[in-house]
Amino acid sequence: MADVKQVTLTIEGRPVVVPEGTSILEAAKTAGILIPHYCYHPGLPVAGVCRMCLVEVEKFPKLAPACATAVGEGQVVHVHSPKALEARKGVLEFLLINHPLDCPICDQAGECELQDYTFQEGRADSRYLEPKRFNPVEDFGGDVLYVTNRCILCTRCVRFMDKVAQEPVLNVSERGDRATIGIHPEADLGGHAWSGNVIDLCPVGALVSKDFLNKARAWELDRTASVCPNCTQGCNSILETRDDTVVRMRPRANEAVNQYFLCDQGRLDYRWLERRDRAELPYVRAQTARGGTELAATDWDVALREAAALLNGRRARVLASPMLSNEALGLLARVVARTGGTGVFTVRTGDEAPLVGVPDLALRADRAANVIGAELLGFERREIGAVLDGLGADDVLVVADEELAGLAPTLPAGVRVLVVGTTVPTWAAGADVVLPITNMAEEEGTFTNLRGRVQRFLQAKAAHGLARPSWYVLGDLLAAMGDGEGYFTAADAFAALAAAQPSFAGLSYDALGLRGLPVADAERFAAEPALAGAA
Amino acid sequence: MAINVKVLDRPVEQVSYVRATLKGMAQTFKHLVNREKRHQVTIQYPEQKWDLSPRWRGTHRMLTTETGKAKCVACGLCPTVCPANCIKLVPGEDEQGNRYPLVFEIDEFRCIFCGYCQEVCPEEAIHVGRHYENAEYSRDGMVYDLERLMAQTHPVSDLWDPADPKGE
Repeated sequence: MADVKQVTLTIEGRPVVVPEGTSILEAAKTAGILIPHYCYHPGLPVAGVCRMCLVEVEKFPKLAPACATAVGEGQVVHVHSPKALEARKGVLEFLLINHPLDCPICDQAGECELQDYTFQEGRADSRYLEPKRFNPVEDFGGDVLYVTNRCILCTRCVRFMDKVAQEPVLNVSERGDRATIGIHPEADLGGHAWSGNVIDLCPVGALVSKDFLNKARAWELDRTASVCPNCTQGCNSILETRDDTVVRMRPRANEAVNQYFLCDQGRLDYRWLERRDRAELPYVRAQTARGGTELAATDWDVALREAAALLNGRRARVLASPMLSNEALGLLARVVARTGGTGVFTVRTGDEAPLVGVPDLALRADRAANVIGAELLGFERREIGAVLDGLGADDVLVVADEELAGLAPTLPAGVRVLVVGTTVPTWAAGADVVLPITNMAEEEGTFTNLRGRVQRFLQAKAAHGLARPSWYVLGDLLAAMGDGEGYFTAADAFAALAAAQPSFAGLSYDALGLRGLPVADAERFAAEPALAGAA
Repeated sequence: MAINVKVLDRPVEQVSYVRATLKGMAQTFKHLVNREKRHQVTIQYPEQKWDLSPRWRGTHRMLTTETGKAKCVACGLCPTVCPANCIKLVPGEDEQGNRYPLVFEIDEFRCIFCGYCQEVCPEEAIHVGRHYENAEYSRDGMVYDLERLMAQTHPVSDLWDPADPKGE
């Protein structure tokens, strides 16, 4: 941006050039220097209440809070000068006066900023001999538990509810050392679809998740960059696993999509990734000794050969799940094209719940990750009751990870069924071949969100049973049908998709990175200005 | 070709074994007649037992509160610090909402008795013991669960002098 004036200053001896109006704290970040802070958060208005970010600026009469001081031309900032360190040490000592030493039982331990900064710059001991203030734990409703004693009154949660959620139900009650975060007597954080973010915003263990309470320690978790699969918004997320089990989902910052936030629906709906009633092995229908038939476990080569034989000469009706990745849907579209069939999908819907303070961010009505991807790749969206309409008696129904929850359709007689999915739905138990695939936590792939942004998610845990990634299975299936040779990596599968589909042209895993890029014709998915303004 | 072996001409006092044998026999005889306590090495185990050092690190013991509950709050520091990965801990929550160990198991076979678990414990709950009689009839018996760790009665190790914890 040429019209914004650039300011040059020196922070810790390093020259920094930032646009005018940037805070010293943000300017220091660009130079790789972290100025300790509690109340400041890039997604919230600046409050300047914690005094933790005090730094020494030459020619200033006293120390300045880095979060609330704008950069000036030629400023010289000292973050670790004796004077600044002494001030921050004092702030930390005051914060710890009433903070309980219950780190061993505190869920925040290991990812607690109070722990980190005390370790870096605080005193090794306390000079406070009087008994500490005590307040009971309070239930704020929803997923949020308020442990009053641990609170350092940074007011991040208050500002989130005021300015971002715009439902001002939290405040700072009382004064002086009796001050705590208070909630409106008739309010309940459970009433707001985005209130769970106060848990992530809390720099200490004062606001903790009931869902995650006492489940794991922060240092035991493996973190994987992912994308929330629960609606078309495609919020960037982090899947946290412990012993190969997903235990928590948290937001991952992406200015273009969700900033720093993730809705409660998204953060709590991860348990389906741990379903135990999964399809574990490839199955084919075989004769039993009594003369009937049953699904018998087999190996991958046989199952793929049988599946290809099943599709040979028949039209495929692909019932795809909008939770599948672009790669899988692209390959299914090729199955449809080869057999002259049709591809359909259906989407579970719910109420839209916008986060008012952030433009174009909401829990969307379409509760599936890749609705736009499915539409781009030529799948037809239908009502749940109409997905099987027009299914001919000689067709093959390819059930691609779709369970049609709440519906048990009766299939027309003579229809052959191929299940490519994480589960075998009861209504599809008469399948001829079952090819087990991994769910989104167990494979790599991309989703296209409602603004046409293609975003990658990475593999967080090991596959269940003999299941293979969807792009791998479908690539092999196409190879068995005589189309291509399958793919070794998800990146290869995506490259093939990018080469074949004009919407994805020019995209690759390297180019997408972890923040994603819009598809070539993304303009048609842009938010309507009126709606964007209201949201 | 003949092998050249260099024969050293050593004095007879150095190569004769007679002198060395007599020297050894003299030492044995000295111990035979001298029954002073400080020379006794062998003890009559199991009637007699060793005095263990206060810093001896043996099999574990979980200390309990006055109400008989384990002091452990399942903070997860001991499984984290354990270099042998022999501690299994699953945290849970009791009726009062307090954190406590749902499962706490130590595989004493895998343990290397470094004492880090005792050192790291913020609640002074898990201790290594001044104890060495641990024979078992099965391998499973060497995996001590919480109940068994709490039932141990042997004295626990003092890894440091409480009066001088930093060893100054």
